[in-house]
Amino acid sequence: MAYEPRIIAYLCTWCSYTGADTAGIARLKSPANIRDIRVPCSGRVSPELVMRTFDQGADGVLILGCHIGECHYESGNHRAAKRLPILRSLMTYAGLEPERLRLDWVSASEGERFSRIATEFVDKVRELGPVKWRVPSKEVPALTQQFAAIRGDVPLVERDCASKTDAIRLKAKELLASGAVGYVVGYEVGPRGRTRPAFANTPEEADKLVWNPNCTYNLTTYLGKKRRPAVKGIEQPKPVAVVVKPCDSRAINVLLTENQFQRDKVYIIGVTCDGTQHDPGVMQARCQVCNDRVPVVYDTLIGEPPPQQEAKPSPVVLKVAALEKGTPAERTEFWLSQFDRCIRCYACRQACPMCNCPVCLYERDDSLWIGMGVNMNEKRAFHLGRAYHLSGRCVGCNECERACPMNIPISLLNMKMAKEIEAAFGFRAGFEPVPSPIVTILSGEYKEG
Amino acid sequence: MTVTSNQYSVISQAELAAWLDALARTTTLIAPYKMADILLYQPVQSSREIAWDFGRPVMSAKEFFFPPSERLLLIEKGAGGVKLTETIHEGKQVIFGARPCDAHGVKLLDALFLDKPPVDHYYANRRANTALIGLACKEMGAACFCTSVGGAPDDAHNMDVMLYPVDGGYAVEAVTEKGKSLISDLRFTNADYTRQTSIANRKSPTLAPGASAGVVNPQSSIVNPQSINWPAHFDDEYWARTSERCLSCRACAYVCPTCRCFAVRDEYLPVEAAGCGPGCTQYERIRSWDSCEGENYRRTAGGHRPRAEKSQRLRNRYFCKFYFYPDQYGLGNASACTGCGRCVDICPVNVDITEVITDLAR
Repeated sequence: MAYEPRIIAYLCTWCSYTGADTAGIARLKSPANIRDIRVPCSGRVSPELVMRTFDQGADGVLILGCHIGECHYESGNHRAAKRLPILRSLMTYAGLEPERLRLDWVSASEGERFSRIATEFVDKVRELGPVKWRVPSKEVPALTQQFAAIRGDVPLVERDCASKTDAIRLKAKELLASGAVGYVVGYEVGPRGRTRPAFANTPEEADKLVWNPNCTYNLTTYLGKKRRPAVKGIEQPKPVAVVVKPCDSRAINVLLTENQFQRDKVYIIGVTCDGTQHDPGVMQARCQVCNDRVPVVYDTLIGEPPPQQEAKPSPVVLKVAALEKGTPAERTEFWLSQFDRCIRCYACRQACPMCNCPVCLYERDDSLWIGMGVNMNEKRAFHLGRAYHLSGRCVGCNECERACPMNIPISLLNMKMAKEIEAAFGFRAGFEPVPSPIVTILSGEYKEG
Repeated sequence: MTVTSNQYSVISQAELAAWLDALARTTTLIAPYKMADILLYQPVQSSREIAWDFGRPVMSAKEFFFPPSERLLLIEKGAGGVKLTETIHEGKQVIFGARPCDAHGVKLLDALFLDKPPVDHYYANRRANTALIGLACKEMGAACFCTSVGGAPDDAHNMDVMLYPVDGGYAVEAVTEKGKSLISDLRFTNADYTRQTSIANRKSPTLAPGASAGVVNPQSSIVNPQSINWPAHFDDEYWARTSERCLSCRACAYVCPTCRCFAVRDEYLPVEAAGCGPGCTQYERIRSWDSCEGENYRRTAGGHRPRAEKSQRLRNRYFCKFYFYPDQYGLGNASACTGCGRCVDICPVNVDITEVITDLAR
């Protein structure tokens, strides 16, 4: 028997589902492969739903909604128009053939258009052959992709660490002594010599705070809903002071727009940044492309703006470009090889200031978006889902990748999504306290293509 | 059980490699393997893939006895009613290059899964089908503190076969009967060799007398955590302060050789090619690792979380290692921690078990 693809079509009940009816009444031919699912609006088709459809074995997903301007909910299809192209670029990047996911518009009277789009789509998917997305549970393919963890290759010049340390301590003491803040979140050096996040509750404790090139942690993850537990004798919720680098300060903007806390509840000690390091004396790969050396939002600024650096292409950018050039099979192989190592410890999510859902979608037990198995399909669904949820929100602090015990190159996902969002909407997360275009509904930002 | 002898036969690395190659053809060989700049225990096809001069893999060998997730039952619901099929893993496996802390970890897992009824058949089966070929550590890593919790970098207990790196190859010791039969076809370079150890031998009874103590690790000065009166510290403010920077991820528990919490759930299986016929649906009962560090650990119906604060969760981790588990499973005056130091190295925000022990001992 010849191969026949399994296609799932999500049809808006107002336009496209009626359009499919119109095609039927007019006795126009539509392929029998399509299993229609009637949804209230194309905007209801969440990216998670599309990913899940592929995870469950669909060869193609077709989403049809009302034409722009004709949505029965005014802006539902704007959501679809913004989200799905971004989702498609993500899934393409992870190895799906882009032709397997299509978003289009069909009104109630356009029976002929429905028939044409459906036929075209099914023909295209049939030509592509069976989808290679779902990984059969028992037969994880031999994954041969070797990949060295991404490291920077530019020397790091430390400047003013001592004076910045002094200034941070002085400011922290002043804030704590006056009672302006409940505690100060900064950095300290632990007994093993590792720099780490620290909480200073009293002016005396402020003496342990430091600044050095190992201050890679994004401390804004301790703000908002992930606040630390109540400690006896420390009144909550007093404002909290937090030491931020420029990238971290962008996270504050994102969190503010998402109402994670009030601006007056956070006192921002901004520190100018010369870059942070992974290996001694070598700048982290992410810092190599960073031109933003002064925090974008702060209450007090510590340090002089560093001189502009000559931009050197980061290994991350080069790797993203190399992956984009690969074939779908190569990309699938690459990503499966990486996700294969995941143990679902959620260190990436927990380290991320933007991952602040009370219960992660991928860990809910009341709606099984993914199962709890530590298998390939689940691991990939989690990582791609997280990358999608961070698109337009990720500030590139790269804490997720640093926290990963298994060296999964999560930055390659986040950088790709940041690139897509910038190309489509001209938006970079966190420079202004405005929400990501992907979560807003009005038109105007989205550029076709 | 332990063969006590000062005489060891030596095998060269080339001979050992050839023997492992032959072994890999008949059984699943698991060995240290380097991928993406990290070292993991992985099934390998040949000795060429093995990372020979290795330190301590990021993950413990726990996953080969107690996998991150495994199917317990296949449930098929069709015209003939409901059919349950237990899925027991039958394959034989040999773990080469197990570190003493890993083997010690397996011993501690036995206390829960094997030694006290009910016996966990899934674990028991893997345990019976697995042989451990240990490799003594040349030195203790910066985060290692096995000597503080009753282990040693060359502790042959809990191994089936123990190898000690020596000049010209490895001194081989068959520790158990299983180990003896495993190495029965091994050809030795020198059948009568007295091991010149270059590592500390504080307590391992299998060591040659007069071996030098050369461990250079400041962390081995960590006190024995069992000397701490843990219950007295239960209500300490210390836990809130120590957990301030904890992210509530589960990396520490998942790299730990002795963390063994799991969750069980029945899940729907998507229809795949090998379905069970028309009108039949398949489900699986699946068991996955879980950790007390997760925010929703032990959440009950109605949403109550017995350890809602991360200070309570972090405290539980240490109490479980040094008080609850030893008490519940009769470990006596031993810790449920092998001192491997993996959690120390892996913690993204440097929450450090040795620091906690040191602070509480003070």
